[in-house]
Amino acid sequence: MRCNLALLFALVVGIIAPVHVAHSHAAVLDADAAQAIRLHARYDTGAPMAHAQVIIYAPDDSEQAWGLGVADRDGRYEFIPDDIAGRWLVQVRQAGHGVSAYVEIGEDAPVLITSPAPDTWGQRALMVALVAWGALGTALYARSRRGRSDASA
Amino acid sequence: MHLPDGLVPVELALAGYAGSGALAAMALSRIKRLPDPSAAIPRAAMLTTVFFAASLVAVPVPPASVHLMLAGLLGVMLGWFAVPAILVGLFLQAVLFGHGGLTTLGLNGLILGLPALLAFGIWRAAGRRWPDMAALCAGSGAVVAALAIFAGFVLLGLPVALDASAERVALQLFVLAHVPLVMAEGVIVLVLLRVLRRTAPQMLAHA
Repeated sequence: MRCNLALLFALVVGIIAPVHVAHSHAAVLDADAAQAIRLHARYDTGAPMAHAQVIIYAPDDSEQAWGLGVADRDGRYEFIPDDIAGRWLVQVRQAGHGVSAYVEIGEDAPVLITSPAPDTWGQRALMVALVAWGALGTALYARSRRGRSDASA
Repeated sequence: MHLPDGLVPVELALAGYAGSGALAAMALSRIKRLPDPSAAIPRAAMLTTVFFAASLVAVPVPPASVHLMLAGLLGVMLGWFAVPAILVGLFLQAVLFGHGGLTTLGLNGLILGLPALLAFGIWRAAGRRWPDMAALCAGSGAVVAALAIFAGFVLLGLPVALDASAERVALQLFVLAHVPLVMAEGVIVLVLLRVLRRTAPQMLAHA
């Protein structure tokens, strides 16, 4: 009888133990929604900053980088910031070129704070024309003064 | 080839301002010593505009694109006037187009100002005996020098957090992409000086 009980116990342990071992490899998945910041870095020519390095600084520590990463071939990069309100500093750089901007994270939707350069050709042409006009005026003024001083001499 | 705001350490940006200020002071003092300092002002004004507008000309070099610099041209045409001309042009590019930055104006002034003076030196030393060779070397040499100074500043200001080896590889690709520009700017200076030597040699008197 004692021998039968021991045999039954060994049988039960032999069946159950592998099941528990298998359960130790099981995976658990939790999911919750989080607000991600999606960056898209481009050169002013419109070309993407492919594989550029991304450095992120949290509002509470401007010395130690909060996160590092590499943009994809389209210059895109996503990160989910910690629950720290304030200005997150984001730098995207490649070969000495790049951009540095703040992302304001608060109760409202994140806001990118940066100083975009004028990008329409009309604006650019107007600026070049204004500077050319200024240079032309300077050149003519200097030339006329020189001509007058030559004549008086 | 402009260092933008926010990517270089404050100490480096301040050192850039100090270096650029010293370069500008030296250039102004040399300009004052010229027999007629005001004679080159009209030319300097016009070439400042050319330099300012040239940053908008992007030459496609797959997979990227590069901008004209014209530091060699300014050096040969303006001599010491090239330094204030470049600083004014860089300031306008930063304010109006967002090329470069105000905090990095000093560094960018060195990146382009020193090569312009190198081109001036080449032209003065060899322009009379070998004008074509000197023009080619001045135009191309200025781009090479600007690339070297730019890369030096970038490597000096790398943040600790950054992957330095990846940045070095990116810099090497950046330099390779500028090889056509090295040749193009040499040819631009060569052609322009050939034309000026025939049509208006007095314009080259100062240089």
